[in-house]
Amino acid sequence: MKIKKIVVASNLCIGAASCVVTAGSVFELDSENKAVIKFKDTKNSGPAEREQLEDAGITDDTLLLAAQSCPTKAIFLYDEEGKQVYP
Amino acid sequence: MNATRYLIIGGGIAGTTAAETLREIDPDSSICIVSDEPYRLYSRIMLSKPNFFLKKIPFDTIWLKTKEWYESKKIELLDGKNAVKLDSANKIIELNDGNKINYEKLLLAIGGCARPWNVAGNEKQGIFYLRTLNDAKAIISAVKKTKRAVSIGGGFISFEMCEMLRLAGIDVTLVLRESYYWEPLLDKMSGEIIESALQKGGVSIIKNTEASEIVGNESVTGMHLKNGEDISCEMIIAGIGVMCPFEWIRAGGVEVGRGIIANEYLETNVPDIWTAGDSAEFNDLILNEKVQLGNWINAQMQGRTAAFNMAGKHQPFKLVSFYTTQGFGITIAFVGDVRPLPDRIIIARGTPESGSYGRILISKDEIVGATLINRTGELAPITKLIERDVKITGHESELADSQFDLKKLIVL
Repeated sequence: MKIKKIVVASNLCIGAASCVVTAGSVFELDSENKAVIKFKDTKNSGPAEREQLEDAGITDDTLLLAAQSCPTKAIFLYDEEGKQVYP
Repeated sequence: MNATRYLIIGGGIAGTTAAETLREIDPDSSICIVSDEPYRLYSRIMLSKPNFFLKKIPFDTIWLKTKEWYESKKIELLDGKNAVKLDSANKIIELNDGNKINYEKLLLAIGGCARPWNVAGNEKQGIFYLRTLNDAKAIISAVKKTKRAVSIGGGFISFEMCEMLRLAGIDVTLVLRESYYWEPLLDKMSGEIIESALQKGGVSIIKNTEASEIVGNESVTGMHLKNGEDISCEMIIAGIGVMCPFEWIRAGGVEVGRGIIANEYLETNVPDIWTAGDSAEFNDLILNEKVQLGNWINAQMQGRTAAFNMAGKHQPFKLVSFYTTQGFGITIAFVGDVRPLPDRIIIARGTPESGSYGRILISKDEIVGATLINRTGELAPITKLIERDVKITGHESELADSQFDLKKLIVL
């Protein structure tokens, strides 16, 4: 599996911050307590292509762990063919 | 008697994550979860969220695993069953239906129970606790016929319940035994910011007292307070803490304090028995003391570490955990160890007047925790500062400067 794209569904996010614990180089909480993705030049809920990430070297395993840790399944991961790999 | 290689007591996030991790490491061995709730894994963290209660998000978002998931992973789930006896010499767990299970490796991820409320009249209908999905279902159903409710106790759950009740159009009174919200964990200024947000949201707050008696015939109609006041209500939510029923575990020879005692590998004093999640009182490598935590991410990551160690690895657990919530227009976050112990130095950031106020707790020249109101963005840098044991001598004025970017203190 190769994770290519990440999206945070802000309407589902409750700010539990488990993604920040598991992949703090990719996710942080904004001032409204919603998870955002750290791009090289900006921060928002995505979609984010992997090469746009501040930490483009993050492993698939860590991204998957972060998505799986979300108690509301608000993090969506897609592979190179655009197929949803999680949730 | 049934036999399994890995037996997990507790089907919450700690136990289920452990099962999932064990299956990743060990594709073939038998794994069995015993859960006292009649459900597969659900998101306990959602139970107190107003959006869930008020059905702004579909009820089914609560489920984190499908029935097919357990089948495909070959994880046996015995739901709706209680473990009642541990025979650690012969490695046998007995269930309340009389069945016995022989294990090779055992994980006790039994979580906590809502502390029962010891007050006169506590048997009446209309008193609710919030710990399980069945508790939440009962509250959802009661909210529809309630006009006036009382919430007892200050904490995350009570804060979220107050917001849910207000959003449902219910008159809410909050009764606090303390002199301000979250005393003594928070300072008075932080407590007052939260109280002010609650009051602006329409919650009446009565402090420095507690219920002396719940009144009503079969159902609650109100309560008497020790300060002489009376409150009329049809519903009471008691958020007065968590306790764990450990007797059967102690009887099996496992050392128990406030929680189940474990080292940093989450091993108990008995060979081949581990613990994880809310029930674990473990050796925290960051604080160098025994702590027991009740939050989602701690439970999840402990489930993972315990599984590695059950499968023969030797991996210590190390995590700066936190909990955040939002409601009534403010966000509250706790990071790390927020207990204001006597040796702690506390540095304030921001002022209540400015609307954002944080407190950084320091022990032995290192940050150990923080409480943040409307400063959630500082959660990540503070976590890093705690993890990396950054020495703060010489940086006190920067920590106290609410405009200072804390990231600058992180040494790479």
